[in-house]
Amino acid sequence: MNPWKGPHGRCIGARIRLRALLLVMLVAVLARPPAAYAQTAPPVRIGVLAFLGAEVAESIWSPLVTHLEASMPERRVVLTYYDVDGLRQAVQRRAVDFIITNSGQYAALESEFGVSRIATLESPGVPSPSQAIGSAVIARADRRDLNALSDLRGKRVAAVGEDAFGGFQVAWREFRRQGVEPEDFARLDFLGFPMQRIVTAVASGQADAGVVRACLLEELARDGALRLADFKVLSPRRVEGFACGLSSELYPDWPIATLPHTDLRLAKAVATALLSMPASSKGYAWTVPADYRTVHDLFRDLQIGPYAYLRETTLQALARRYWPFLLFFFAVLAGWIVHTVRVEQQVHARTAALREALAQRDAAEAGMRAHQEQFDHLSRLSILGELSGTLAHELNQPLAAIANYAQSLVRRLDSGRYTPENLAEASREIAAQAERAGGIVHRIRAFARKRVAVRERRPLADLVREAAALFGGMLPNAPRIGIADRLPPGAQVEADTLQIEQVLLNLLKNAADAMQDLPPDARVIDVALEREARNYRIAVRDHGAGLAPASTRHLFEPFFTTKPDGMGLGLSICKTIVEAHGGRLWAEANAGAPGMTFIFTLPADDLIP
Amino acid sequence: MTSSLDQALIHIVDDDAALRRSLVFLLDSVGWRTQAHASAEAFLAAYQPGVPGCLVLDIRMPGMSGLELQQVLRAQGRTLPIIFITGHGDVSLAVQAMKQEACDFLEKPFKDQVLLDAVTQAVRRSARQLAAERRHDQAHALLQRLSPREREVALRVARGLPNKLIARELDISEKTVHVHRQHVMEKTHTGSAAELARLMLRADPADLD
Repeated sequence: MNPWKGPHGRCIGARIRLRALLLVMLVAVLARPPAAYAQTAPPVRIGVLAFLGAEVAESIWSPLVTHLEASMPERRVVLTYYDVDGLRQAVQRRAVDFIITNSGQYAALESEFGVSRIATLESPGVPSPSQAIGSAVIARADRRDLNALSDLRGKRVAAVGEDAFGGFQVAWREFRRQGVEPEDFARLDFLGFPMQRIVTAVASGQADAGVVRACLLEELARDGALRLADFKVLSPRRVEGFACGLSSELYPDWPIATLPHTDLRLAKAVATALLSMPASSKGYAWTVPADYRTVHDLFRDLQIGPYAYLRETTLQALARRYWPFLLFFFAVLAGWIVHTVRVEQQVHARTAALREALAQRDAAEAGMRAHQEQFDHLSRLSILGELSGTLAHELNQPLAAIANYAQSLVRRLDSGRYTPENLAEASREIAAQAERAGGIVHRIRAFARKRVAVRERRPLADLVREAAALFGGMLPNAPRIGIADRLPPGAQVEADTLQIEQVLLNLLKNAADAMQDLPPDARVIDVALEREARNYRIAVRDHGAGLAPASTRHLFEPFFTTKPDGMGLGLSICKTIVEAHGGRLWAEANAGAPGMTFIFTLPADDLIP
Repeated sequence: MTSSLDQALIHIVDDDAALRRSLVFLLDSVGWRTQAHASAEAFLAAYQPGVPGCLVLDIRMPGMSGLELQQVLRAQGRTLPIIFITGHGDVSLAVQAMKQEACDFLEKPFKDQVLLDAVTQAVRRSARQLAAERRHDQAHALLQRLSPREREVALRVARGLPNKLIARELDISEKTVHVHRQHVMEKTHTGSAAELARLMLRADPADLD
């Protein structure tokens, strides 16, 4: 039996063995230098749960004191003995630095005060320090009606006390697992320590069954106090390495724990000393701290100790305690539901509106796309006219490189100044540059679908109006276009309609771009149509900021642009087109007002005889 | 002269990598040493004067243009001859370039012989210029050795004045003039008034006016 252990009774035989043990310990102590001279540091205070009274406990734990003082010569070790309540208060008052108590109280104090185990007792005869403590529910062997824990419904049961860990709580959990609650017993008597009282009660028939610490029966039998055959263990279970009759799960052994305020270095020193403490003659020793989660699980299941609050968290209790909050909650919930329904309705309405708007936008986009395609086509056509000048430059680069390489090769072959590397390099370059030139040609071809210029007679005003309409559809927020038609009736031009439209679109676009910074209301383009000698004159006037005179000079040069994303081709193309029609294109700064006017002329077709 | 042509260095500045490489290849085929630069700025960073050569320069480049580079070099007093190459037969550009003393103006694509001739000519010009500069520097250095009085005498000797006239102009004795004249001839390593005159012309053409 474990002489340091258990909230359970001690027996006479055990006491005798304990004396022997103490003698051994005493010899060990005497062999070490006495520690009494080094008492400068404050004493190490250890609180111990003494379920059998201070006197017995002292006899159990004094070897520990001896060992600790030998390990830490500069510290004195003071053991103080408490009952369950006293130990809890000592922890609360910080009257101790360490505590040694049973697993149940340890788990409770861990939850309540944050005490922290540094070592666990290691007893002989158990599978591991984590599986050391269990309960046996015993009955007289002649009770054929009692075999399982569930058979105890309506029977008289004896136990140590409601707070006893091995003496009641461990068994309680097993009762519950088998669907039996303490209320289901005919009687539940708490007899207190020593635990033999329970064995006696069962043997005498005062109780039908009793809860005792596992191994108690075996120890008593060994001491000759009873015959094992007279008793049986209910719902017995077998655990590998555990030699006694058992009705329950096994739980960890007693721990020694530090308090939150305990000096960390001291805790470490004590832990080290404990782990290096030799096993007692009976095989008891301290080992690395076990996992006490199983104890917490038990408390949680039973809703006792640190988890007592769980017992109250039934729905009814909640409702009783929190009904004003519940009322408020339901009010909020109701409000939320109403709100959700309303929002849902609004979303429906707005979704419909949005869908309609989207459909409108799609239609507008389709229209704009059609216009855009037309516009792109126009651009392509007249850019073709510029190609000879500008793309020639692009083509020139690869062609010049090819020529250089080819000529160099001939030269090198003539002079013998060549190597295979030379030849390979030149050939590779020629091929690459030919490809580059081919790519440019391909782009041009893809760019310009063949089109034969078609000239037709058209009323000029119609042409301008169509272009303005086209332009209005092209831009999402196109400026207003005012057309002042001062042409003689029936004024006609012979022109490539697409090309002239393109010139107009270009000028309108430039005018719109020039007025980007103006408020929308102020964005107005004035188009004036007039006769001027044998020409018709089309003037497109904007109200933008105008251009610097230096810029005006280059306006019609290819690749000149004042726009960040412009190509600088628009106006030069327009000029080409207008001139191809026999007209002129130029720009004038507005007289007495900001902005520019772009003017082009076309020969008056109807006036030519 | 031949040796200075051998160490001539042809700089090629063109933003088109393929064209740049092809020019290197072409010039290398007749044995010119070349150095290619992707931009005017890169050329300016790498250029070291004092070696005969020329600059084959694309007129249109992003960043500093060919014409701008020409101006920078002129402002720095560099005499490196420039051969412009251009994709456009842009007359106004060509005129501007030639006014700023460009050596040549070629339109792409050009016959290899045209470029090679232009380069040879430019390098010769560069070598001549460098040699002239060197002779000028030498003459200048020789004349620097003269004292102020000797310099006055030397000027008059070079103009062909006899000692007697020089003595009168400078209000010194004829004998003193004779001594100065001998010192001048010794210091400038010249044997005659004509030789001295040539030396002084090399140093500063305006000196004898």
